[in-house]
Amino acid sequence: MDYKATARRLLKEPLVHFLIAGAMVFWLLSGRAPDLGERRIVVNEAVAGALAQRFYDSFRRMPSQDELDGLIRDYVTDQVYYREALRLGLDQDDEVVVRRMRRKMESLAVADAEAATPGDGELQAMIDKDPARYAEDPHTSFDQVYLGADTPENRIQADAKLALLRAGKPASGVPAPLPGQLTKASANDISGMFGDEFTLALRRLQPGQWQGPIASGLGLHLVRITAREASAKPSLATVRQRVENDWRAAAVAKAQSESYARILKGYDVAIELTK
Amino acid sequence: MKKSLGAVALLLAATALTSSCDKVKQAVGGKVEVKNTAYPEKVLWGDTHLHTSNSVDAFGFGTRLGPEEALRFARGEEVEATTGSKAKLARPLDFLVISDHAEGIGSTKALYDAPRMMITDPQLLRWYDMMHASPEESLKAMGEMLAVRASGKPNPAMSDTAAAEKRTAKLWTEHMDTVERYNEPGKFTAFMGFEYTLMQTGNNLHRNVIFRDGVDKVSTVKPLDPGDAKWPEHLWDYMEAYEKSTGGQVLAIPHNGNVSNGLMWMLTDPSGGPMSAEYARRRSEHEPIAEITQIKGDSEAHPFLSPNDEFAGYGTSGWDQANLLGNIATKQEDLPGSYVREALKRGMLIEQRTGVNPYKFGVIGSTDSHTSLSTPDENNFFGKHTGVEPSAKRATAGFVPGVPSGRMNWQSLASGYAAVWATSNTREAIFDAMKRKEVYATTGPRMTVRFFGGWDFKADDLKGDWVKAGYAQGVPMGGSLKTGGKGAPSFIVSALKDPVDGNLDRVQVIKGWVDKAGQVHEKVFDVVWSEMDGKRKLAGGKVPAVGDTVDVAAATYANTIGAPELTTVWSDPEFDPTVRAFYYVRVLQIPTPTWMAYDMVKYKLTLPAEIPLKHQERAYTSAIWYSPA
Repeated sequence: MDYKATARRLLKEPLVHFLIAGAMVFWLLSGRAPDLGERRIVVNEAVAGALAQRFYDSFRRMPSQDELDGLIRDYVTDQVYYREALRLGLDQDDEVVVRRMRRKMESLAVADAEAATPGDGELQAMIDKDPARYAEDPHTSFDQVYLGADTPENRIQADAKLALLRAGKPASGVPAPLPGQLTKASANDISGMFGDEFTLALRRLQPGQWQGPIASGLGLHLVRITAREASAKPSLATVRQRVENDWRAAAVAKAQSESYARILKGYDVAIELTK
Repeated sequence: MKKSLGAVALLLAATALTSSCDKVKQAVGGKVEVKNTAYPEKVLWGDTHLHTSNSVDAFGFGTRLGPEEALRFARGEEVEATTGSKAKLARPLDFLVISDHAEGIGSTKALYDAPRMMITDPQLLRWYDMMHASPEESLKAMGEMLAVRASGKPNPAMSDTAAAEKRTAKLWTEHMDTVERYNEPGKFTAFMGFEYTLMQTGNNLHRNVIFRDGVDKVSTVKPLDPGDAKWPEHLWDYMEAYEKSTGGQVLAIPHNGNVSNGLMWMLTDPSGGPMSAEYARRRSEHEPIAEITQIKGDSEAHPFLSPNDEFAGYGTSGWDQANLLGNIATKQEDLPGSYVREALKRGMLIEQRTGVNPYKFGVIGSTDSHTSLSTPDENNFFGKHTGVEPSAKRATAGFVPGVPSGRMNWQSLASGYAAVWATSNTREAIFDAMKRKEVYATTGPRMTVRFFGGWDFKADDLKGDWVKAGYAQGVPMGGSLKTGGKGAPSFIVSALKDPVDGNLDRVQVIKGWVDKAGQVHEKVFDVVWSEMDGKRKLAGGKVPAVGDTVDVAAATYANTIGAPELTTVWSDPEFDPTVRAFYYVRVLQIPTPTWMAYDMVKYKLTLPAEIPLKHQERAYTSAIWYSPA
């Protein structure tokens, strides 16, 4: 599969971009296909190979002989219509042709960004630039006793139960589908279960001692923080997939806007409107 | 590959190839081992039913967001909705199934993108021009396309099968790559799936199909187009063939029985004859869960079928008059085959005769949103499709604005979610939980609900680790009571409010049973409610209403009524050990504003009196079944 490596290397060459883009622009601007007027339609190995490749891209297998025959028939029909339409100038002022050409240019501009595999260095740089985005949430482990709704009576009860817990005695809460012990919970986990105000309140608590009552979206809780782990520095190994998704999305957007800016340079855009 | 290929062709082809290979390799290479807990400790929230621009109708309705945006949005990222506003979920989802229609996948987009001069069919040309004219015209075009579909005589020019097959293959490949890239075991699960949009002249028999596996296995098949199929056996054949050839697993989720005109859960087999044990077995094996609530209405229960249930009929307005496409009116005798509670009864009836229960399924909610945005929250609802994304007009618009659908958009529910008790956030664990039916539905709020059935649960159990006891001594939702129990079955029922939503009004157990004469029955038991020993003591055998704190003019409510949690141990006081029965839980919230009320405040509207501005949202669990030994 040597050609792949070659292709990848070639794709990184600005000169190649320039040539491809240049050829497209030339073809567009001239409003003519390269072989305008050519009435000979040749189906050679190169054409058949390209048709087969396109089939492969869709179906992940090579076409059978029958299918290839069909592809070739289609290709000839396409060419006949296409050339005849160009000859008649049907491509002129056709909004759809314009839009398709634009889309082709755009997808050509981003093709290598989409295909490229970023180096570890590049990905690491992205992590270093915004470590918070990729960092594991800080983890909190804690015990909690749920006391039910936030009512004056329950607040009084809370004080009595807090005293029990601090004396090392058991104090039961209200039965609910809520864990009494959370291990290594992220802020997202905690907010999902208890609501944001509770997550914020937890941050202000010192570990070790039973405290409360702490209010949540569910009511009142007595809480004891047992462990807290600062967010570990994100390692490329654990967040590779996410960084790479972001890298690709950014690379595609960048390639798009840069290629447009480059082409735009060659044009004078005059907006001749009276206000 | 031949060396003689032109340079550009070589480059382009090679680009496409390396692109897909690399993406797949990265995804597989990045696999991490995720530990499963001994039993499910945390409920996971997701949507099993979301359409993107790859869906033939979603594109026609105007959606331009694709699968990648759908996945980013579900993970909690901000995206720009098609109509330009920013969209973000306050709380991310744990999992997502993108279920684009297999039928005609990408074909509307293909028509939209086609060169106009190549379109010769006058009907296609008309649609083409409408789609390019304006969003409003595009909606009308989609309405016409659906009407043609309903007529059962599709435009042959639209179904160029070779082109369609090629398009499907290409989109499916791209789709799998995207899904694989966003599946992050332990953090966020992206499933491979599609919608099998089976329909009989507008009667809804749709199924969402979900794979347990990754691209290595799923890439050996393509989404199945129902074509001319009338019944789901074609789909079951496909599923069986997939499982046999790959060793993988796949399940199907029927949805919107409410617009099936009684065909979703029939007493008979398709021919109208008695259902065979083999047919019943295939149905229950491949379709372990059903979607009970979504934007196009709620399919739990209907007032006609459950006249003694004062809370039956949520989200049935507008949906119980006709089938999905509105071309055949719904008759009263159609209703039993259209609603879940009745289906659960029918299942036992068929089991009594054949020994197999075809309708022993669990329930989930999902959105069926066609905007790429999964948004079942009343105050953040992006609508059924792009034509009804947030705007001042949508509350009073038709279901498909500009197209006579017989339904109003206000009849759309901002609903629902699939809640799954899984042992980890992975494809395997979530899928397995669906298979064993340890799942439940909500109409949007993220209420936590536990439900265990056994023979010796006592109130004292609640003082200890009752979840552990629930698993050790009983079965969770979706299970069957162990045989050999003494006395009446007892159940641990526990519900906790959504931390950012309304308090709970009450928890009910709904029992259905089949007597010896083959008659089906149901009864709704209020088992625990707020202030049950105080203000709301039983009055004449009835629980007094919870009250209402909704300030409609401001679209607010207060949690000064109801309770944040309701837990009890309940035993069936009317248990008869000789008859089959099921029990499921329904949790009701206190009244809260509907999405129309939020719209009214946001856009300063005056709305007609027929539009409901408050409602009681709810959760439905999968049932627990009892069979005599």
